[in-house]
Amino acid sequence: MSVAPAAAKLRVVIAEDAVLLREGLTRLLRESAFDVAGTAGNAAELLRLVRSRHPDVVLADIRMPPTQTSEGLEAALEIRRRWPGLAVVVLSQHVETEHLFELLADDPRGIGYVLKDRVADVAQFTATIRRVAAGEAVIDPEIVARLVARPRRDSPVARLTERELAVLALMAEGRSNQAIAARLYMSAKTLETHIGNIFAKLGLPPAPEAHRRVLAVLTYLRR
Amino acid sequence: MSHRTGTALAAGAVTAIAFKVVVTVVPRPAPDVVWVITSSAIGLSFLAAGIAAWRRWPATRLCWLFSIAGYLWLLPNVGYLPYALTFTFAGLIVNAYTAALAHLALAWPTGRLRSPFERWLVVVLYGWNIGLSLGTAFFAPGCRTGCPSSLLLIHPSAAINDAIDAWSVPGSVLLTATVLAVVVRHWQQARGWSRHVLTPLVWIATAVVALSVVQTLNMNLTLPFSQFAIDDVAPLILILGPAMFVISTVLARTARGAVGAAIVDLEPGSSPGRLRDALALAVGDSTLQLAFRQPDGGFVDTTGQRLNPASPGRGRATTPLAGPDEAVLIHDETLAHEPQLVRLTASAASLALEHSRLQAEVQAQLEQVRASRARIVEAGDSERRRLERDLHDGAQQRLVTLSLALAMARDLAAKAEPGLGALIESASKEAREALTELRELARGIHPAVLTQAGLAGAIQALAERSPVPTTIAEVPRQRFPAAIEATAYFVVSEALANVAKHSQASSALVAVRTPPGRLVVTVSDDGAGGAAPGDGSGLRGLGDRVAAAGGVLCISSPPGSGTRLEADIPCP
Repeated sequence: MSVAPAAAKLRVVIAEDAVLLREGLTRLLRESAFDVAGTAGNAAELLRLVRSRHPDVVLADIRMPPTQTSEGLEAALEIRRRWPGLAVVVLSQHVETEHLFELLADDPRGIGYVLKDRVADVAQFTATIRRVAAGEAVIDPEIVARLVARPRRDSPVARLTERELAVLALMAEGRSNQAIAARLYMSAKTLETHIGNIFAKLGLPPAPEAHRRVLAVLTYLRR
Repeated sequence: MSHRTGTALAAGAVTAIAFKVVVTVVPRPAPDVVWVITSSAIGLSFLAAGIAAWRRWPATRLCWLFSIAGYLWLLPNVGYLPYALTFTFAGLIVNAYTAALAHLALAWPTGRLRSPFERWLVVVLYGWNIGLSLGTAFFAPGCRTGCPSSLLLIHPSAAINDAIDAWSVPGSVLLTATVLAVVVRHWQQARGWSRHVLTPLVWIATAVVALSVVQTLNMNLTLPFSQFAIDDVAPLILILGPAMFVISTVLARTARGAVGAAIVDLEPGSSPGRLRDALALAVGDSTLQLAFRQPDGGFVDTTGQRLNPASPGRGRATTPLAGPDEAVLIHDETLAHEPQLVRLTASAASLALEHSRLQAEVQAQLEQVRASRARIVEAGDSERRRLERDLHDGAQQRLVTLSLALAMARDLAAKAEPGLGALIESASKEAREALTELRELARGIHPAVLTQAGLAGAIQALAERSPVPTTIAEVPRQRFPAAIEATAYFVVSEALANVAKHSQASSALVAVRTPPGRLVVTVSDDGAGGAAPGDGSGLRGLGDRVAAAGGVLCISSPPGSGTRLEADIPCP
């Protein structure tokens, strides 16, 4: 774990109703060189904190009191409406895509949607927060994996090569070209060829920016 | 009245007719055959009506009234015997039958006279008749054909006799008119069944009075009718008296049939008002009332009027109905003279009421069972929701916290003791596995996405998980009551599970439509078909589940042509 200079610390606001987990997250993020500007146990508190503390990124559990359904998500949508571009990472307990699309619909930049379990993988989790804070869209690999693996009939997805499928999944997770190329050990040029092929095979209009690409690819996969 | 009465009446009738035939035919050289037949027929018809009335209404005096009229008609035939005594007796009662007829008309249909005035009128009628006959017996000069002379003869004088005849006419007219007026008045005042049976009487009385007018006028004036027609044939009109009895019998019999038909025609679950109307129409008693005992002990009829069955009013009678409803029929008193009809009506009414009551009871029970079934399902659903929530808020959160703590502990330990770090890493992995399993378990208990995102999100999730390529044709985004969403979700979930397990289909299609007031869920596949409830496919449970929500599950699964499952659920 590297410790970044104090000036570069990201200001985080955490909304999580389970006290122990909230404390754990706070400790984890502080140790990972985040500035935890405040913690909230419900959506109203979260909105107050965002207004007063001006965080760089918001971390919110989807299910919070009083109804334990989707308060965190509602709060996230509200935050995006009031402070467009403010990075929000929502933690979901479920591998369902319903909320994901609500959240991505307007502008996928600076949106993270990850399973709650991910907090246990500290490095990946903090990296996710940093990526989202930097304006990337980050989608949990498990959700993407399910969408990619979904059985299809007469679908162009079936005509993609294994390599192309791997690229497609990483695109759907919100990875940048650079990250995909590094992960798959291929040159930027090869990657661009693959992406071009994928878009052609799926009949999608070319979308050069990674964050636009996320929504297009996910929407396609969800159909 | 005993059986002996009937035998006596029958024997009397046979004797009277035989006697009549013998006395009118045997001693005379040239009997008036037509008249013998006509008058025998008239007498016989009254005697027969007396016997029939005794059989049908043994409790009333009608049998005596018919019989007396018959005997008074036939008895004067003793005058044909060549004895002065019998001749004199016959002369005295020769016209008494007219008083008996008036008596019968006034007492119809109950056999009882309705007021002291009417009793006086009857006495006067008999007195007037016999009085006039006495006058004739005292003064009539005797017949020219050599019949015996009257024993009572005081002073034979054609002049006195003619004067009596002439002066008696206004009295006779007055009495006849009075009787006719009283009968018409009875008819006017009658309602319901009484009016029904009085109507023929009015016509018959009018006809009989007309006959006597014609006969009287014929004695004094010359009418353009033949003597034969007036004296020998026209009296047959008297047979209308007994005919009245036949008509009333037919009316009662028709009514009995009509009551049966009315009950058959009555729609199940008809209101007591409808039942009353049907019975009143069938019986021909528009005054018929059907009344029920109220919790306060009083009775209320079908129009909401309070009434007292113990004193139903003048000319009314009460018949209690069998059964637990404590209902009564209140009807025209004269209807009580048709006990069979009343019994039939009463039992028809109680049958219909009992039927309605049972039907309402079954309906209410069914409604209760339906409601409790829906409640049981609803309770199960909410219990599952609660369980899922408890898992989420409790165990799942703790496991997440645990894995977070383990991750941090591992990072700390890894620096000091690599072996410990590896151990914590494996514990952390276990915790993550447990978390994944718990998440699947919670989802199986109740899908949180259904509560959070409704049918659209939940069905989308099902389609994404389904091993068979599944297309969602349409799902409304709106939310529905939790019980309906849960049922619809259950249908799609089970149907897709069946598609995956049994159908060998290559694709499935899900659609949720919302025609007004309903939610229709359709899941179809292109597989092998041949699915049937009870073959272990869970279709029976699915049908139960849909029925609990008040809906219907339709399965069409012809072998080789795929399976189509449609749940039609009522949705407010």
